[in-house]
Amino acid sequence: MAKESFDKEIQFLRMLVLTSGAYNRQQFAKRLGISVNTFDKTIRRLKEIVQATYQLPEDQGKEFTEGIRYNYYDSADPMLLFLFRAKSLKESESQRLSLLLGALSALSLNVHELLDYCMNALPTNLPLPDEKTIRKDLKYLEEVGVIQKEGDVRPFKYAIRNEFIRELTEDELLDLYDFVDVMANTQTPSVQGYLLRDGLKKQLIRGHSDKHAVEPFLYKYHYHSRILDEAHLFTILDAIRKHRKVRFLYFSPKTEKSYASKNTNPLFERETEGKSEKTLPLKVVYDHQYGRWYLLSYGREGIRKYRMEGITQFEEDEAVDPAWFEEKQQELQDKLRYSWLIDTGAPVTVRAKFYNPGESGPNFVKQRVLLQGQWGQIVEEDGDSFTYQITVNGTTEIKPWLRSFGSSCEVLEPVRLRREMIAEWKEIRAYYESV
Amino acid sequence: MNLFEKIFNYQIISRLDDTGTFMVTAHERSWLKAMLQHPVASDAFTPETMDKLKSMLTKDEQMETSAHLIEKARSREKQVYHPLLRPLRRLIMNRSGIRITHCLRSGKVYSNQLGVPYRLEYSMVKREWYLLWHHVRNRAFMSTKLDKIISVTEEALPIERVNGILERIGQTLDNRKTEVLIEIIPHYNPELSRILYALSCFEKEVQYDAQQDTYTVEVCLLGEEKEYLLSKLRFLGKRVRVLEGNYVKKRMLEASTKALERYGVLGEDNL
Repeated sequence: MAKESFDKEIQFLRMLVLTSGAYNRQQFAKRLGISVNTFDKTIRRLKEIVQATYQLPEDQGKEFTEGIRYNYYDSADPMLLFLFRAKSLKESESQRLSLLLGALSALSLNVHELLDYCMNALPTNLPLPDEKTIRKDLKYLEEVGVIQKEGDVRPFKYAIRNEFIRELTEDELLDLYDFVDVMANTQTPSVQGYLLRDGLKKQLIRGHSDKHAVEPFLYKYHYHSRILDEAHLFTILDAIRKHRKVRFLYFSPKTEKSYASKNTNPLFERETEGKSEKTLPLKVVYDHQYGRWYLLSYGREGIRKYRMEGITQFEEDEAVDPAWFEEKQQELQDKLRYSWLIDTGAPVTVRAKFYNPGESGPNFVKQRVLLQGQWGQIVEEDGDSFTYQITVNGTTEIKPWLRSFGSSCEVLEPVRLRREMIAEWKEIRAYYESV
Repeated sequence: MNLFEKIFNYQIISRLDDTGTFMVTAHERSWLKAMLQHPVASDAFTPETMDKLKSMLTKDEQMETSAHLIEKARSREKQVYHPLLRPLRRLIMNRSGIRITHCLRSGKVYSNQLGVPYRLEYSMVKREWYLLWHHVRNRAFMSTKLDKIISVTEEALPIERVNGILERIGQTLDNRKTEVLIEIIPHYNPELSRILYALSCFEKEVQYDAQQDTYTVEVCLLGEEKEYLLSKLRFLGKRVRVLEGNYVKKRMLEASTKALERYGVLGEDNL
């Protein structure tokens, strides 16, 4: 069987989250480069996953788009996690694996005992497994670390690895759940943490905790689609570790050219073809400013930057000389040193004057600069204001951040950036002059 | 490590649910093992629990991502855990009342206020924890930085009363939501993805007018969240324009006017 790819589902969910409600079926399908029929099929499949994952009764399945709509105070469940539940499986296999785990959670058993158990417990409409199949299942479950062999006497007994619930008291389990919740929400990567949170949450609910007990925390604000790209993260990191080149079909989210020629929105108007790329991955960058992921690599033209969301049909290729890889990675690292995000252009020194808020009370302007100003320094300070200085590659990436301070920030240098800021504030003012 | 494992399949998960089976994979344990290395882990567990966890995970490999993953524009990590999280989350879980002594920004101290804790909220922007609670006497919804809490103790309140208050908090929050309508200036449609990413942290609804090729975004938020929305709007600059939401519009006018004054390009007569 060909390797199952989730590219379509990922693109689909991303667009759904970003453009929630904007497009009808035809528009949506067109922008994804798929037929309406495929669109309907994808939505049906995702809906089925959501319903099974959250155990929703049919009538609560609602409109799919509505169902996954973000509602902050309702739940802290990461709404796109169900994507990682999408791996398809034969009915008989999913029955068998869950039966085996159910049996092992009660006591350790060997392969013969498990075979007997399955023979008795499997629904009659399903084919009965043979010993070989059970052995294969056990091998898989051992590989993913869900079960382990016990002792060294044949036939081996297998035990489920549920130490967390076996050895921790209820109170300790609560601490573990909280820690996992906090770390999955505040650290990167997070998908494995969210999966663990999900399992622990269900366990706590089984122990009669109510919603109030399992969701005491809220996080403000999250970029919900960020976890979609973690789907690629580990395969890319793996290729980097092995110094391997990779091949993929790339759909650039910014296709200015096609924008100029077609009078439509280019971003979701994907080329049906994509561009075939072969490149040596060096680093992955997560940008907290937008919640976006990048792959930085080395190709024929030098350093290349790809948005991870545009990467599909990812495959590993040949390995390169490790020494050469190290050299290229070091080169990239040197260039990224002054990148606010990923700009590798020429470094410039930016100086900006920040004005403290007038009233007494905490200086939230300074607090925010210290918190978010990366490696920049406060070089001058008096009662009313302070001067922040930073060397960055180009000014494009830092500009929105400086502008977000509104009139509390005045760019001093470089003059070009100062002029750009003035021009932009004039335009913005013109939008609201009639207010 | 492949995140699309058979074992995570939704049918398996829902079957395990039905039989009450707890299952955890090596993926999750290796993530946890890595997270336990974070300095805050010691605040989250008693030393005994920490020892137990570490010994459970000895056989597991620790997830390693830092060597090749760079995080950019990350805020300084001021606070991830707070010593009050453990006691407060238990008070929330038990639906208890609280007696809380806290101080305000101004330094003024409020002693022994009777309240009902609702949730603990982490601000990804300020990197700090807050307690959301109901102030019984003032009938007010409060948000207090954990750092500003001097003491908090359990106070018995009848469960019916607590439930009633919690229910009302839900309704109050719903009632306090307002909408701001934002237009993406069509000229910047090529940047649509970036703009929508920046707004994706809000509860929102996007509309698309195919004839005009224009996108509008309706953001739904609580009053006090407007400051954050405003910083996002200034962040996006001329790419977006507020169509509905008088307060936000007024503030954008004010910000642009004041900014131009700072730059000395707006004379008195221009105002």
